[in-house]
Amino acid sequence: MSEAQDPIRLEIVSHALVAAAEEMNVTIWRTSRSTTVRELLDYSTAVFDRDGRNLAQAARMPVHLNSMEPCLEEIKTRHIPLDDWAEGDVIITNDPYSGGQHLPDFLCFKPVFHQGRRIAITGVLTHHVDVGGGAAGGYNARATEVFHEGVRVPPVRLVTAGKLNQELLATILCNVREPEIFRSDLLSEVSALEVGARSIRALADKYGGPTFEAVGQAILDGSEAGMRAAIAAIPDGSYAAEDWIDGDGLSPETLRIVVRVTVAGDRLAVDLSGTAPQAAGPVNATFALTKSAVYYAIIAATGAPVAANSGCYRPIDVAAPVGSLVNAAFPAPVSMRMLTGHKIVTATLRALAGVLPERIPAAYYGVTFNHAIGIIHADGRRQVYFDSELGGWGGHPEQDGADGLSAGFHNQQNTPIEMIESLYPLTFTRYGLLPDSGGAGRHRGGLGIVREWRFDGHRGLLNASFDAFRSRPYGLDGGAQGSAGRLSVTRDRVMTELPPKVIGHELAAGDVVRMETPGGGGHGDPSRRDPTALAADLAGGYVTAGHANISTSNG
Amino acid sequence: MTGAIRFAVDIGGTFTDLQLVDEATGRVAAYKLPTTPEDPSIGLIDGIRGACARHGLALDRVEVVMHGTTIATNAVLQRRLPEGALITTAGFEDVLEIGRHARRDVYGLKAEPRTLLIPRHRRFGVVERIGADGRMIAPLDEAAATDLARRIATSGWPVVAVALLHAYANPIHERRLREIIEREAPGVEISLSSEISPEIREFERTSTTVLNALLMPVVRGYTRRLEARLAEAEFKPLLYLVQSNGGATTPARAGLEPARLLLSGPSGGALAAELIAAELDLPNLIAVDMGGTSYDISVILAGRRNVVAAGEVDGCPVRLPMVEMRTIGAGGGSIAWLDGAKRLHVGPESAGAVPGPVCYGRGGTRPTVTDANVVLGRLDPAHFLGGAMRLDKAAAASALDAHVAQPLGLDIDRAAEGVLTVTVSKLATAIKLSLFEKGLDPADFALISFGGAGGLHAVEVAGELGIKTVVFPLNPGTLSAYGILMSDLVHDLSRSRLMRLTPDCLPALRALADGLAVEGRAILDGEAVPADRQDLAFTADLRYQGQAFELLIPVPAQPLDAALIDLLAERFHVLHEQRFSYADRTVPVELVTLRLTATGRLGKPPVAAMAADGIAAEPTERPMRLGGAWQQVPVHQRAAIPTGDVLRGPLMVEEEYTSILITGGWTVESTGAGHLVAHREIAR
Repeated sequence: MSEAQDPIRLEIVSHALVAAAEEMNVTIWRTSRSTTVRELLDYSTAVFDRDGRNLAQAARMPVHLNSMEPCLEEIKTRHIPLDDWAEGDVIITNDPYSGGQHLPDFLCFKPVFHQGRRIAITGVLTHHVDVGGGAAGGYNARATEVFHEGVRVPPVRLVTAGKLNQELLATILCNVREPEIFRSDLLSEVSALEVGARSIRALADKYGGPTFEAVGQAILDGSEAGMRAAIAAIPDGSYAAEDWIDGDGLSPETLRIVVRVTVAGDRLAVDLSGTAPQAAGPVNATFALTKSAVYYAIIAATGAPVAANSGCYRPIDVAAPVGSLVNAAFPAPVSMRMLTGHKIVTATLRALAGVLPERIPAAYYGVTFNHAIGIIHADGRRQVYFDSELGGWGGHPEQDGADGLSAGFHNQQNTPIEMIESLYPLTFTRYGLLPDSGGAGRHRGGLGIVREWRFDGHRGLLNASFDAFRSRPYGLDGGAQGSAGRLSVTRDRVMTELPPKVIGHELAAGDVVRMETPGGGGHGDPSRRDPTALAADLAGGYVTAGHANISTSNG
Repeated sequence: MTGAIRFAVDIGGTFTDLQLVDEATGRVAAYKLPTTPEDPSIGLIDGIRGACARHGLALDRVEVVMHGTTIATNAVLQRRLPEGALITTAGFEDVLEIGRHARRDVYGLKAEPRTLLIPRHRRFGVVERIGADGRMIAPLDEAAATDLARRIATSGWPVVAVALLHAYANPIHERRLREIIEREAPGVEISLSSEISPEIREFERTSTTVLNALLMPVVRGYTRRLEARLAEAEFKPLLYLVQSNGGATTPARAGLEPARLLLSGPSGGALAAELIAAELDLPNLIAVDMGGTSYDISVILAGRRNVVAAGEVDGCPVRLPMVEMRTIGAGGGSIAWLDGAKRLHVGPESAGAVPGPVCYGRGGTRPTVTDANVVLGRLDPAHFLGGAMRLDKAAAASALDAHVAQPLGLDIDRAAEGVLTVTVSKLATAIKLSLFEKGLDPADFALISFGGAGGLHAVEVAGELGIKTVVFPLNPGTLSAYGILMSDLVHDLSRSRLMRLTPDCLPALRALADGLAVEGRAILDGEAVPADRQDLAFTADLRYQGQAFELLIPVPAQPLDAALIDLLAERFHVLHEQRFSYADRTVPVELVTLRLTATGRLGKPPVAAMAADGIAAEPTERPMRLGGAWQQVPVHQRAAIPTGDVLRGPLMVEEEYTSILITGGWTVESTGAGHLVAHREIAR
């Protein structure tokens, strides 16, 4: 048995690599300054092998984690060949058309050298609070080109042989609305990369560089084998499903996402042909994002008890037509790519629901409710408030969907209301679960959230990138759809319903903004719901009496 | 207090451990008896009687009992809690249920169960509003509050938690609600968020308040039973309860603030480690307690235990100062298993005490860490627990063969070694993360190991981390009680108010500090602590503007002026640089919370040095597999190791409840006080 195949060593190195990613994770969280990182936890960290294959992830945001390898692939083949990465370099990019997702996400990578040889790469992705462009917070609903969305940085060196490129940094900072916060968060990314690199060098010191590298490959082979075994357990065949988004913000036309999963032995192909063409508005997904969504859905659906890494991707082929909503061509705008990404996840899961009926839940809320206010104070000072909300999980074959909890391929925290009110001119009037929002079913969908606040500032410009106002979370096996999302503004007692995508809606002091997020779809026939569970729903007000009658009689 | 006897009692799930010190002689002794789960106070009193009888001490000399209890933690874990109501600001009744949104298992499609201690139909909103600056935005709707209080009275709910938005900045509405409830629903116990955890972040504060309210009847009931039993007993000690911050409190105060007892279980071990750190002049110590199911890690830095601002019990945040403890699921009973990719894992699932490891012969079928130790000869099947239990080595070997060796294509010995190697790596990683979070290097620390399973792995864990010294304390089984014996009365008070740390904040800061000081002294006065035994120490939670996490900076005892502001900011920059590899003096520093630790110093009995009463037992030998090869390894009885002799590994040290493995490359010696200290030999 070769050293690399020693199962004990494999486990120990694998464990240490995850620990390195966790150490980077802790560093980012503790040293960043923006609310997006400090409360929303919108960042991720990972370790890659010398060729850029993902070896280990810190358990944070699958959407980020599984897109970092495709990004590295782009960088090394089209921008900076890996052999040109020198010790002490840090490569950054946020360019959707160089492997990124959307402009607020800055990816940073650092090669790890041991005895003069590159043995690994550490990577970090952080969502920054603002990247300039047509809307504070980076979600410009009116964008029709990526140029409208903010500053775009192709893969370049932010640090060259240990020396920070101050001129590049100054150029970026000159283009963003919160330069001090941006700078801190970016430097936090840079220090985290070195924290991970230090642990990896220690590992290579202990086992020797060549053994370390060989063990890395064995880790990937192990995950690949586990993934193949899980796929082989799914009956061969071709399974298709669809899901939808409300529109691109410019036109109300519903956009269709079509997924066909073909299982053949221990391989699986996912083809998104038939999906809508790329949109004029910013709901497009790059191919890196699409792959990330598919990888997530397949790993979750199979429930393969293996470490998530590049080995899991190997038996999965992803195809998406160039110029479509799910493989957008330059210069399509992409800031709201998560709307589409979530629905790639739910459509892929839905395709497999027939063959994995005991594992696949009904659809979750299906959209990250990102919103921001560009605040202009009376003295001219500007501030950006960025926040996010989510909704209910779909009913599961074995239990109800969770109420108001991160689902799918993102994973974030909410921001304490007391923190928000301490920093921004907002007064919250309600934050709670939304009764009757979960789809009826034998196992009902989890509840969505209602969030309502009064704007107390001088002038505000509200931006929102919402969805699921019409394309509601699907039910499964006879369960009902989850509720629709909503957004409204009340001024002088007059309530105005807003569309899901909003840019620069003027807010004045006293305006009350209310958002409702969808509950999850129901699972199973509602008439088969356990009467005790229904009674508990009514007692707790999760479901109101009138609604319960309607949902049981309608089925 | 000459002539008094002081007891420490640590009541665990299985055993009640007692430690006593006779202040007349300085003599320390230990005693152990089974816990009496139906009413733990029975075991406490029986234990005191038993210990005095065994050591020939008069019961009426017992003057102080320091009591560590898991009663609060267990009540939460086992849901032995009353039905309580929660009052929030109207519109925010679901804050407790929504929590913070994030989940742990990101690839799971089935949501993990969440702990919800007060269901929706017992959560009520009242119209009122305080702003972030403490200003009243909307007055309390008194009529509605009165109706609600009447409803509480008629519903018979015994406790009410009150957690209003920004109550940490202005408690007026919470206090008024209490008055109304006391008037309309007399006898109902009430906990206000502005009193138990007056800190910003509504979910964490609400969660803490709910736990506190629900525990009030639990802890008060227990202390009343205990005091009643003591009143009937022939001794009348002062009783103190140990809190999660490592300090003690009175039963009266524990009844008001029972959440402070949560997670106090392991704090005794950290206190003992602090004492041993001073005794052996090892100011930087990592204390590890390895039992059957878990591995608890705490850090002693510069001679002091590390106190953090929050913890978690069963998924519920507890925003109260507590001794920092990292717990992972790794102990002697942890099960070794293979995943879908045939990768070897150890824990977190444990075979526990029942059925226990396969070698116990009580029905366990899956191999554990203990089974691997038996197979490799590190545990002696004939002399486990001092010979009280025979271990089935053949059964352990066949379980390892079936579950690990065969699927991996290894022989049984290699499989058993693999299980231990993975375990050691897991323990070392957990320690590394504990230090890493603080920017500390394990090589600057010594390790102190206790708990039944710790001794077999401590030296190997130290080796992984580059640690050169490992301490095996005397009486590892009752170490926690020893720590409790020496604790003080400690009350933590705090006030949150977000402010920039500049001289402009001085008036507001002085007001916060003065308010806390008055409150702290009042509590200690109420406990009859004389002024010369009262210590007040402030700590400021500071961060760079906008950061999510604060660093706790001790405030030196000097006038609160501009110079002190500068000093605090500078200390913050320095600590930030140490922990996070950068400091940025251009970014404003914010104060989030001001804390006061009010300590009432209790007399510290002088503890006599323990002479090792050497029994002349010759070391024996037995075969063990170490470093990949079977060899004859000397086995010493701990009590027979003479002070000052340096023994060279490999060797095994055995005592009644534990075994200590000293591998090759390490030496071990016994200190005068009875601790064993292992040193890594310098490589030649």
